[in-house]
Amino acid sequence: MPSITFTQPDGTAQRLEVEQGTTLMRAAVSNGIDGIVGECGGQAMCATCHVYIRPEYADALPELGADEDEMLDCTAAERTERSRLGCQISTGASLPEIIVDIPAGQV
Amino acid sequence: MSANTARCPMGHGTTELPEQAESRPTHVGGVQHSGAKEVPVVNWLQPAQLLADPYGSYARLRTEAPVAWVPMLNKFLVTSYAGCHEIEQDQSIFSANVSGSTMNRAIRAHPMLRKDDPEHATDRLAVNPVLRPKNIKEAWAEVFARNADIYLDELEDVGPDNADLNRDYAAPLAAKNLGDLVGLKDVDVQTVRTWSHDFIAGIGNVLDDPEIWRRCEASTEQADALINELIPHYQLHPNASMLSAWANSGLPDANIAANVKLSISGGMNEPQHMVTNIVWALSNHPDQREQVLADPTRWTAVFDEAVRWLSPIGMYPRETTVDTVLEGVRIPAGSGIAVVVAAANHDPAQFGENAADFDISRPKKSHLAFGAGVHLCAGHWAAKSAIGQIAVPKAYERFPGLRIEESRPGQWAGWVFRGLTSLPVTWN
Repeated sequence: MPSITFTQPDGTAQRLEVEQGTTLMRAAVSNGIDGIVGECGGQAMCATCHVYIRPEYADALPELGADEDEMLDCTAAERTERSRLGCQISTGASLPEIIVDIPAGQV
Repeated sequence: MSANTARCPMGHGTTELPEQAESRPTHVGGVQHSGAKEVPVVNWLQPAQLLADPYGSYARLRTEAPVAWVPMLNKFLVTSYAGCHEIEQDQSIFSANVSGSTMNRAIRAHPMLRKDDPEHATDRLAVNPVLRPKNIKEAWAEVFARNADIYLDELEDVGPDNADLNRDYAAPLAAKNLGDLVGLKDVDVQTVRTWSHDFIAGIGNVLDDPEIWRRCEASTEQADALINELIPHYQLHPNASMLSAWANSGLPDANIAANVKLSISGGMNEPQHMVTNIVWALSNHPDQREQVLADPTRWTAVFDEAVRWLSPIGMYPRETTVDTVLEGVRIPAGSGIAVVVAAANHDPAQFGENAADFDISRPKKSHLAFGAGVHLCAGHWAAKSAIGQIAVPKAYERFPGLRIEESRPGQWAGWVFRGLTSLPVTWN
């Protein structure tokens, strides 16, 4: 099973094993991971599932879409080059594991 | 991809963050069927009290029975933030496709707000690009500003001794903005208001008043005739409107008409009420009014706090598809659920002990004024722009000392949909 590790701003890490194809946002919301809101349910209409991707996973990610790029301008915490929306990234064959950092705020 | 210095067009963006981290109530994984409580039954709710001011009843429900069966409404009322939030996380259990939908009957169609995914997504994704912050800023902010100026002129003509902020500004402005954004072209403001009022009356017509259904029928016929003309028009002449996006989406005409009528129903009262709610809130909290007038970057927080504190949509329906347990209460399949977001938005478990207070400086927390999940209000960025960034700030710029006029009392109405039906104001 693919795994996702969410690291909180205080350094606490939680590792989840999820079904293939699960998005980072859905995994976090379904498992009560603090700090991921996912307000719009995954349609890139908000920016409340903002995560910072660890650089070693950057190459395995899907391209940044125009909608996602636009919404990342509306994140509550600072947007960096590691910023992505968790709803736009699915685990699977090309991304069997990933570690992300949760920002200090989403709203 | 490089570190981006762009700023959110709606003023959302990097801000000084409060010290505490985000701390949502968490509900991990599967429902625990064992140990579920007996279903609390609430018979003490008084319709008259709900209409006058529902927040006292909401507080008692939230404290005594946050998931309660209410025979009067034939529904489970859910009033805690945690319960309402959990509902919106799983449309396979809590369906928006409710039985006997008054909305579907009012607009004689099946709009996306009463569908679950994937059917809902097909309708919704087509219009999302119109309603993201960038298009709102680039294509619509100027229109919203021009419309605000038109009705500020009218308000000025009425003058500070007779002005009613709802009648003379909020109501016509909301209808004009809606007609433009939806793309109703040359339809006059009064017609948009009539259609919207009729549809809203139908959605709330739980007592089955035949006169209301007759009005819905007439407005539906008129709106459908217009939409049928506009679909081919926008296919030839696309623009930045919602109708244009739908007309060029490849969706069947019936889906387009359903969602345009949904937008007419749901896109007027709420922005209208937010104009008056904000002025009412700031008039009653002059210290906070001074803060935002001294620092206009606070308008974002003012809008967000006002929509939490006085949520224009108080409650909306869902229906269970299976036997389930919510917050420890057993709910059978096929039950009507009322998601009382106005109550959830005052829940101390989410917003702290001062949850019932208006406080633009409170720590930022997610609220449910726009719903949550896949049905999160499609127009929420439009509302933040048109009302939060434009209509209300412009009114204070035009009329120094804008405030409610105590000698001419305003009038609150409604609880499912709640707002000021009149708000006399004055200025210096």
